[in-house]
Amino acid sequence: MATTKLQRLLLRNPYVFALIVLVIAIIINHDLQPNLFERRSLSSNFRLFLPLALVAAGQTLVIIGGGIDLSVGAIITLINAILATQIASDATTTEILTTIGIACLAGIFAGVFNGLCIAYLRLQPIVTTYATSFVYGGLALYILPRPEGSLPRSITTLYRETPYNIPFPAYMMGLLIIAWLLLRTTRYSQTLYASGGKADAAYRTGIPVVMVKFSSYVLSGLMAAIAGLALTMGTGRGSPRIGDAMTLDSIVAVVLGGTRLSGGQGGVVGTVLGVMTLGIIRNIISFAEVPNWYQTLVNALIIIAALAGPGLVRLIRDVAKTRLATW
Amino acid sequence: MGTVSLSARHITKRYGGVIALSDGSLDVSAGEVVALLGANGSGKSTLAKIITGVVAPNSGELLLDGSPVTFSSPRAARKVGITAVYQELSLIPDMTVAENIWLGREPMIAGFSINRRKMHAQTQALLDLFAGTHQTLDPDAPINTLPPDERQIVEILKGISREPRLIILDEATASLDSQQVTRLFDLVTEWKTQNMAIVFVSHRMDEIFRIADRATVLRNGQTVGDESIKETTGEKLVELMIEGASTPERIKLPPIADHAPAYLAVNDLKTDKLQSVSFTLRTGELLGLGGLHGQGQSDLLFALFGAIPFGGKIKLAGETVRFRHPREAMNAHVAFVPGDRANEGLLLERSILENLQLPSWAKFGFPLDMQRAAADAERAAQELRLVMAGLEAPATSLSGGNAQKVVIGKWLLRDPQLLLLNDPTKGVDVGAKEEFYNLLARLRENGTTILFYSSDDEELLGLCDRVLVLHDGAVSAELAGDALTRSNLVSASMGSMMEGSPHGNHEVATPTTP
Repeated sequence: MATTKLQRLLLRNPYVFALIVLVIAIIINHDLQPNLFERRSLSSNFRLFLPLALVAAGQTLVIIGGGIDLSVGAIITLINAILATQIASDATTTEILTTIGIACLAGIFAGVFNGLCIAYLRLQPIVTTYATSFVYGGLALYILPRPEGSLPRSITTLYRETPYNIPFPAYMMGLLIIAWLLLRTTRYSQTLYASGGKADAAYRTGIPVVMVKFSSYVLSGLMAAIAGLALTMGTGRGSPRIGDAMTLDSIVAVVLGGTRLSGGQGGVVGTVLGVMTLGIIRNIISFAEVPNWYQTLVNALIIIAALAGPGLVRLIRDVAKTRLATW
Repeated sequence: MGTVSLSARHITKRYGGVIALSDGSLDVSAGEVVALLGANGSGKSTLAKIITGVVAPNSGELLLDGSPVTFSSPRAARKVGITAVYQELSLIPDMTVAENIWLGREPMIAGFSINRRKMHAQTQALLDLFAGTHQTLDPDAPINTLPPDERQIVEILKGISREPRLIILDEATASLDSQQVTRLFDLVTEWKTQNMAIVFVSHRMDEIFRIADRATVLRNGQTVGDESIKETTGEKLVELMIEGASTPERIKLPPIADHAPAYLAVNDLKTDKLQSVSFTLRTGELLGLGGLHGQGQSDLLFALFGAIPFGGKIKLAGETVRFRHPREAMNAHVAFVPGDRANEGLLLERSILENLQLPSWAKFGFPLDMQRAAADAERAAQELRLVMAGLEAPATSLSGGNAQKVVIGKWLLRDPQLLLLNDPTKGVDVGAKEEFYNLLARLRENGTTILFYSSDDEELLGLCDRVLVLHDGAVSAELAGDALTRSNLVSASMGSMMEGSPHGNHEVATPTTP
């Protein structure tokens, strides 16, 4: 039962698969769109990547901890509504920062509510967050019934800056990965993996499983809020449907990045690769001039493949084992 | 590691209506190894769980160094230096050996980052305690790549890394090989000199005599004895485990004719849990399978039913068979009755009719001949003496005993020749059990061959022609006629025979020749 170095590498870094897919997708995309690596298209790509990367990072934490958060899209919409209606186009920096702080708090509160219901009241994560998504989405509609509002120029231009020829959102994604790698050195991350991997074993080892699960939803709420901020900086206005697609996309990105949906394994590096892969696939679909709904189909196929993957591998292994034992 | 003494006094624990522990007491002090033993359901696991804070007792008290304590969680017990090594492992499969051992207690740099280098070194130092007895164990090996014995070693090291004052080894030797057990016992001896208190739960009598200083015996949830190992024998301990219980009255069964042909012959059967089991079963015989839980009884039945992979040879009615799927076994008139009715035996929301006919629908053509199916089921229900509101009533409307009859009944409609029963009377009330035994007796008279695993010694003693006792995946005894007594059954399930040396020798197996 000795394991090779490669097996261990794959086990600890399950994003190798995502990396391969990403490289292939980039090659195809580059073929269809030769100016892919020029500053302008690089910038426009990263502007799209960043919000999804942020929200999917939070989703990754929840999924590693053994849960799932279907309310992130609604939280993003809520944050977008708050920012679009509360920041006047001539707001001062202090006013802007205060509103951003309030928006982040709103995200945290949403996460706290999810976490209370799931970790402490032991409600089903899927049903609970699906239900709370209507609460947060409804709140957003109350604040902002129709697309309107415009943010100060200073914010939207910042999002389009490209210092040293690298897009501003790319720096933020770098920061996200550094934050993750730092988190990975902490004891908290160990307890998160343990709680999602085998909750009763973690409990017997003295890990505060309930607290850890709760915290994963709070972090997810906060990350969704920051994603909402990034999205609003990108579009510069409020729209009551803006976060709708983000929930499913975040889950697809997590799965594509090699994080197991049943918890206890995976990581944010893979998720970021997954986000980029999804974006590139989207590019390919639009440049290949095929109908848009293929994107939905691709999303669905990725989830199915990811869900079936481990089962198929196990099935093949079991059959091989039976044969060995029997013949 | 200071001196410690722990004393559990008159502990009771109920799970719902079931009393797991009615009067459990245990004393252990520093530098002492106390063995905790008892038959199935005697409450030893429950008592161990209460001491380590996994479950809370309903009444009774725990005294630590003389003063009363209560533990709200395993964490609370650990704080005062009490830890446990479980048989059902508390390891996280996706994490490495080092991560598992130090989970929640990792050495830190500046209180923020885990000091992986130090964690690695500390783990290596612990693994060195078992050096030479394992193959692949290293600090960075993920748990899910390790074989069971090495996982168990990690579990032991995880317990010991907490430098406990009191450690409970709950069947910690079950998956270890003899070399590893010897190493563990050397370590235990060393820990004793460091004033650690050790509670050793084991089903192996020989190990108890090798390592324990005292033995505390539980019977039916009650502590019935506390013996010094030096002054006791295996016989005495077994007697304590069964004392007062008389051999139940046997259901009168006509004897099997000596010349009855062998219906089932099993030779050198091996699975993950079974190491070479051989026996024969004659047509119309009712053979019992005994022993403590999880000694491979279920594996044996699953293998015969083609539900798990196995090695070895199985002959059914003279022909060698190799079932690879339960359907193949069903077609050869083998039937399997699971113990877990609710999850494995019944479609709870569906009607009794549907449950009875579930394996037989193919007989009724297309579209299904419902009238014939209903008539068939009606006949079967009468034969089973099923008490029910009607065939259309859902399975949930049945009492435990009647529900179990439906589980068997659905196979009777297929006319089984070999019936495999996997602890079928768990949670069935006494009256229903009686009816169930009569049903088995009738089947046996009609020539059905029956292999009957039961965790209830009464049933094995009262019903079976012969009993095979399994211990650690091998047959430790075959009991029939006058040898089929409670004390033989219990001592065989502890891996020692009354006739054998009291200091146990679990090689005393009497394997049957095929």
